[in-house]
Amino acid sequence: MRNYSPVALSVEQLKISYVQNKNTFVVLDEISFSLKKGEILTLLGESGSGKSTCGKALIGVLPPSANVESGKMRIGNTTYIVLSKSKIDWKQIRGSKIGMIHQDAQLALNPVKTIRVHFQETLKNRHSCTKEDIEKVSCDMLRLLNFDDPEQILNAYPFELSGGMCQRVYIAMILCLEPEVLIADEPTSALDVVSQKEVLNLLREIQKKLKLSILLITHDIGVVHEISDRVIVLSEGHIVEEGNVQDILENPNELYTKQLISARDLTTFIRSQSSAYAKPLLQIDRLEKSFQKGSQYKKILNQLDLVLHQGETMGILGFSGCGKSTLAKCVMGLETADHGTILYNGENISYSHRKKRKHICKSMQIVFQDARASLNPRRSALEIVQEPLNYLKIGTAKERQEKALFYLKNVGIDGDALKRCPPQLSTGQCQRIAIARALVVEPDILICDEAVSALDMILQKQILELLLDLQKSIGFAYIMISHDIRVIRHTCEKVAIMDEGSFVDILPTDQLTAQTENTYIRNLLSSELYAAEIS
Amino acid sequence: MTGKSFSLKTLIGVILLLIIVFLVIAAPVFTDYTPDAATSERFQKFSITNPFGTDRYGRDIFCRTLYGGRTTLVSCFLALGMALLIGTLFGILTGMRSYSLFDTIFMRIIDVLMAFPFMVFAMVIAALWGSGLINLLVAVIAVWWVPFARLARSIVLQIKNDSSVLAARVLGASSWHIGFYELLPKMIGPLLVLSTFELGTLILSISALSFLGMGALPPTPEWGSMLSDGRAHFFQHPHILFGPALFIVLTVFALNLIGEGLRDAMDPYEHIDL
Repeated sequence: MRNYSPVALSVEQLKISYVQNKNTFVVLDEISFSLKKGEILTLLGESGSGKSTCGKALIGVLPPSANVESGKMRIGNTTYIVLSKSKIDWKQIRGSKIGMIHQDAQLALNPVKTIRVHFQETLKNRHSCTKEDIEKVSCDMLRLLNFDDPEQILNAYPFELSGGMCQRVYIAMILCLEPEVLIADEPTSALDVVSQKEVLNLLREIQKKLKLSILLITHDIGVVHEISDRVIVLSEGHIVEEGNVQDILENPNELYTKQLISARDLTTFIRSQSSAYAKPLLQIDRLEKSFQKGSQYKKILNQLDLVLHQGETMGILGFSGCGKSTLAKCVMGLETADHGTILYNGENISYSHRKKRKHICKSMQIVFQDARASLNPRRSALEIVQEPLNYLKIGTAKERQEKALFYLKNVGIDGDALKRCPPQLSTGQCQRIAIARALVVEPDILICDEAVSALDMILQKQILELLLDLQKSIGFAYIMISHDIRVIRHTCEKVAIMDEGSFVDILPTDQLTAQTENTYIRNLLSSELYAAEIS
Repeated sequence: MTGKSFSLKTLIGVILLLIIVFLVIAAPVFTDYTPDAATSERFQKFSITNPFGTDRYGRDIFCRTLYGGRTTLVSCFLALGMALLIGTLFGILTGMRSYSLFDTIFMRIIDVLMAFPFMVFAMVIAALWGSGLINLLVAVIAVWWVPFARLARSIVLQIKNDSSVLAARVLGASSWHIGFYELLPKMIGPLLVLSTFELGTLILSISALSFLGMGALPPTPEWGSMLSDGRAHFFQHPHILFGPALFIVLTVFALNLIGEGLRDAMDPYEHIDL
């Protein structure tokens, strides 16, 4: 273990509560920790454990409903700052002492300003340097973050850059201010696997070069394993366990930590096997789709062929922007394909008008990534699940209610939760309701479009288990769209690997190994974080 | 609504508006006179028997202001309701069929209406069909639905690809259902806020048109036409404009307070003290 001596940031007795409908919820309960100089310390926990609230409190961006009851922090050898005080001069702290990078850098950057303007605005208040100095500092920093041509990046607008590039630009901007401590709140959750690995490696490199102290906030053990030195496990606002990464990952003492680690391991899953004689349900033949961008057309789907049999589980794997979601939308009739055919049970549904496709709604359903956003916030769980039966006029009112209750019970929603609306439900509950709503019409095919990507590990495992159990009892076919190799590997029979709108290969998931000849697949596999468990 | 408490200014606005509406509805309780009958000498100043004085026919201005409020407020709320209904309906329809021929035609009609000065438009209608409250309302509604349609369309364009709307589509919901159950609830907040701001301008515009002689016909009391009536005697007897002018100012003030409060309360972003 490296020897870190002085402390870069120490936090003592931090207690934060939220006030909601006159009820007070304690989110962080008197936690204390210290970040040493040149160290990467991770706050690990599932959603709602209070880790992001902690990060926000340290840089003074808590929402007004949050109340810092007690706590103080010290940056380096300066005097303690009492966080419960109402007047703190954050301008002296933000940027020069503590910098923060967020989950989605693309949203954090202003789309109508070039990267150069972003740098100028960041630096003009901090340094009394000239335009030339700013230009030099930003170019140097961008070079440090592995941009070969910083000049080109400075002239670009945020929307012209990929998610990973935006995150790197954002990190460069924050580092220009030379902060002593960097808080990274889920810096790679919004990125695909390759960009994720790239950004993490870069963070590690920069941290070593600049001897930065980083407080990393994440729910992903893969990220912890990749770059962290020390880890603090948080649960319901308490510190459960603290220690060196290797020790915690290999010999966790607490039950909660064990659960967190085992949640990543999906090897216990038993994939359902479709019968070899199952008839084809969905046939996609030479499907093409382009989108207009200015005067040019960009091909999103290019000559796609795919066959899905009854009861089969097919994974579609690829980086973000490769066309996975567009394919799902074409199949569901939310987009119309330019060329090619989509046959469902022999019927061509690729060009059908929405009214003519109504009977298809019963046979094909989709679960979206952000379940909470996909539910009507003004309706109760029970009403939401009854909705499709009402639209399609299936059964009497009583039968509809009984059916909805049956499926809600199947996904583990009953009692009080039935009457609650999405804002009063947890993310996991919302995803369960979305699944129940898709299954209530008893479809033959269920498309899960990144259905578990936004969830933390424990929830992810629960939802995947639920989906596999339901498939075994009901017997529908799945299309599992994901950028997460781990999820595809353990839940799907076959996997179609997608790159720039076309399938690179369609193969059984058992053959998804590093020994493959295809360089694209090898590249994809090598970017997997914390792959130890599968080797 | 986001559950944020209404601010003090909203409360003041609501109380003020309620007082005005109460005074107008319960006019016979507060005055013994009738709006059309002469009660005393012409051009009487403020007194206990005639709180706002009397006009050139000796009619009690306080009584006429209260009764006139009925015409002004009813016509304004009616015009606003119709404009809101028509605007929202066309906004949703054009938003859902965005960039189609239907959308293009409607948007160009809107552009033309926006380019045309409202007063000129109302005068054209008055010239064609004569003056009167009904014709005035037709002219007002024909122009006033435009900002609502614009706002509703822009919200639909913004949210129609949200996953809740896409989910309703794949679950088999009809366009009608999507429009009214998925899209409409999400735009009620902004539309309501715009309504309160528009109502203020609407009262002023209807009063202005009545002032020009295009609104309610004499002897029906109406705030704008009362101002118009008093215009000729303003320099000798300035008090005769006080009553209707005060009520117009207070109503517009109350509605603006409510509008601002609603806008703050429905802002989805919590403010962080930076």
